[in-house]
Amino acid sequence: MNTIKQTRYVAAAILIAGFFILASHSALANETGLPHDMAKITGQEDFIHIWTLGAEGIGDEQDKLVTVAVNPNSKQYGKVVHSVSVGGRNEAHHMGFTFDRKYLWAATLDTSKIFIFDIHTNPAQPKLIRTITDFVAKSGGVVGPHTVMPVKDRMLITGLSNNRDHGGRSALVEYTDEGKYVATYWLPTDDNLQGAEKTGKYADGYNYDVRALSRLDAMFTSSFTGWSNYMMDFGKMLKDEEAMKRFGNTLVVWRLSERKPLKIFDIPGAPLEIRIAINPENDYGFVTTALTSKIWLVYHDPRGEWQAKEVGNIGDPSKVPLPVAFTISSDDKLLWVDTFMDGTVRAYDISDPFHPVQVYEKQIGSQVNMVSTSWDGKRLYFTSSLLSKWDKKGKDNEQFIKGFEWDGKELKERFSIDFFKEKLGRPHEMKFSAYSLYKL
Amino acid sequence: MKWINIQPEEFWLRFVFCVFLMFLPMLLIGQVFGSDVTHGPGDVKTGYESSGYETRSISVLQRKGKTADLLQVLESPPLGLPPVPVPKDNPITREKVKLGRKLFFDRRLSLNETMSCAMCHIPEQGFTNNELATAVGIEGRTVRRNAPTIYNVAFFSNIFHDGRDTRLEFQIWQPMLAFNEMANPSIGYVVEKIRGLLDYKGLFESAFAGRGPGVETIGMAIASYERAIVSGNSPFDRWYFGKQEPAITESAKRGFNFFTGKAGCAVCHVIQKDHALFTDDRFHNTGLGWKFSTGGDQAQIPVQVAPGVKILVPKKVIDSVGTPPPSDLGRYEVTQDPVDRWRYKTPTLRNVALTAPYMHNGVFGTLKEVVSFYNKGGIPNPQLDPVIRPLGLTDSEMADIVAFLESLTGDNVETLVRDAFAAPIGDRH
Repeated sequence: MNTIKQTRYVAAAILIAGFFILASHSALANETGLPHDMAKITGQEDFIHIWTLGAEGIGDEQDKLVTVAVNPNSKQYGKVVHSVSVGGRNEAHHMGFTFDRKYLWAATLDTSKIFIFDIHTNPAQPKLIRTITDFVAKSGGVVGPHTVMPVKDRMLITGLSNNRDHGGRSALVEYTDEGKYVATYWLPTDDNLQGAEKTGKYADGYNYDVRALSRLDAMFTSSFTGWSNYMMDFGKMLKDEEAMKRFGNTLVVWRLSERKPLKIFDIPGAPLEIRIAINPENDYGFVTTALTSKIWLVYHDPRGEWQAKEVGNIGDPSKVPLPVAFTISSDDKLLWVDTFMDGTVRAYDISDPFHPVQVYEKQIGSQVNMVSTSWDGKRLYFTSSLLSKWDKKGKDNEQFIKGFEWDGKELKERFSIDFFKEKLGRPHEMKFSAYSLYKL
Repeated sequence: MKWINIQPEEFWLRFVFCVFLMFLPMLLIGQVFGSDVTHGPGDVKTGYESSGYETRSISVLQRKGKTADLLQVLESPPLGLPPVPVPKDNPITREKVKLGRKLFFDRRLSLNETMSCAMCHIPEQGFTNNELATAVGIEGRTVRRNAPTIYNVAFFSNIFHDGRDTRLEFQIWQPMLAFNEMANPSIGYVVEKIRGLLDYKGLFESAFAGRGPGVETIGMAIASYERAIVSGNSPFDRWYFGKQEPAITESAKRGFNFFTGKAGCAVCHVIQKDHALFTDDRFHNTGLGWKFSTGGDQAQIPVQVAPGVKILVPKKVIDSVGTPPPSDLGRYEVTQDPVDRWRYKTPTLRNVALTAPYMHNGVFGTLKEVVSFYNKGGIPNPQLDPVIRPLGLTDSEMADIVAFLESLTGDNVETLVRDAFAAPIGDRH
């Protein structure tokens, strides 16, 4: 009898432990691409903070962090509730939270300034508390900070260019989360592969996004282009044969703990965003290519080696739809990807990551760039601006944030804000905040 | 002991083989990297059009500097060049050159502190930009024309493609103040900014006998550095002026004959008796500017999206993401004389192998394309320069001309580029 009781107690303990493990995983799992072990908003987000590019002739013409209320229970649902102008047009682009999610680092591709906002004190009214203005000098010449990824008490920042030729060779730069420079890690080039294996024909030294899979001590960087291209008029660049040769064609796998490059994969056509699967059994991630319109899978093979494989097309690559941002759902089942040129989002069933199948598409606007999903996958938000000089011209230059609900079959628009009509600018990346996160 | 017994023929065979083995690693490195860090972008894209392209990238950290005494070439002009003209009101000194070099590489001298002179005139890229057809200015604003090289700019009184300025001392203020280049709001703004930068403290006063930063001294300092970027004593100079027969290849010698004869290139790219600047410093209509202003574009434009992958993109798609390019009427914009429409300055050809892409709008990526363009007689238009006509050159003859053009690279390029690498890059700190 005692034995049976003990067995029951043990089983109950295992179940309870299992529940807490699962619960803690949910609480600490992915929202829309944030690091796996960062605190998440698993319920309703209250605000979206949108890093917005100043536009000449629009309002105060400056970059700004715009906050929109997105909790349907708010009287201000779907409205702009706050805006902080930071001075200048710095080519606002991407942002990243510190690991404690209290501060938001907003990076800029032109002036290379990084604006640090206090989010946690009052998420409805972010406050600019510091600006890093010496990123280029401190880093040894890295230009264009892009992705800001927290790793415990450090911030890893990808640079896209350099101060020698404004080309695409660049580096990862490490700061403390208090804003102190730590180190610079240049991407491997042919003359110095830094011990990395060049698995194909390319080692361009270019850089773009960074994501980590800490349980496998792995980090991944993709590759875009340098300042001269990403700041140039898009139409002018497409006609410039020399400029069009200056795009990245590589993805680098690093050992995260040592910041050491291990493998360089050929992924032709500007591999941009990287998203890592969330389920701990899924040792893979995806990257999409902007110019060649492909989905690539980066996966850990049975021998424990990282591999890269092309697994699908996005739209019709011959029409250069220009895939830009994408996200994967928290159950690793859906991949949402925006294509800028046709303003369309497509959903792919990625249950079998080697064989993505498109299951849905919808045009969001005349152009669309960023997409963010809520943790439960029921809400998707879209913004329109790609880069200040790459956005469409004329009437197709719509600038918006749009909020949608996803019922599993259809995206239904719930709100839309015209950022030009509101005299704000070009909305780019979005980050969520919630009172629940800060126990306010 | 075996060496003692071998026959002379065998000895030489072995000797040559040993020398080959000694240099094999260097040859292999040359194959891998294709170019060195001083001659072309470290981001090597040669062959990108082909699916067989392989990177030969060089780290930016390899740009290691070594300061040189640039005034030596002024004191002793290199073979093929005349004495460097130095204005009496701005005698050149080492201090001015050093100060000018610092200013040239200072990104803080633009409104948002992202653009220096050197961001468009990149030392290892022929003091121009090999990676862009036409320049990109502050905030990515469109600049209409290809960045001209700084090499040997000391010798010219017509500055810019349209010759709108006459002295280097004045010229520097145009990009400094241009809305689409460095966008400083005023001369006074620049002067006060430099006055406030601690790392300039005392430098102007020392270089200019007590005078601080000002509209004149800033111009004189940068002009002094640019005036010192002199490059001659090329293989061509050693052959033609130095009478060293093996200095250039037989193909280049034939190319010289076509250049000065059948092709008539030397009518504009002038070679004097005792020196050669390869320019008449005048303005000509080749048809390229006329076509840009009046001609229609293709309905579809080939766009390189990856190595070996080009896609035809409808022009209307490209237009949807592009601002219409600004008009460009060439020399006419300076003289207002209709005769000067679409005329552009004859550029020097010294170091031309280093300064791709070519023409005022950077439309040609290779010298072969340029020679082919002229072989076809340029682009017919009502004001086509009469010296431009179909040349009837064969492929072999054009290849010889290219070989000749490639013999015009000065012998001190590495020295000048390494000296430029030694300059501090001015960033906010």
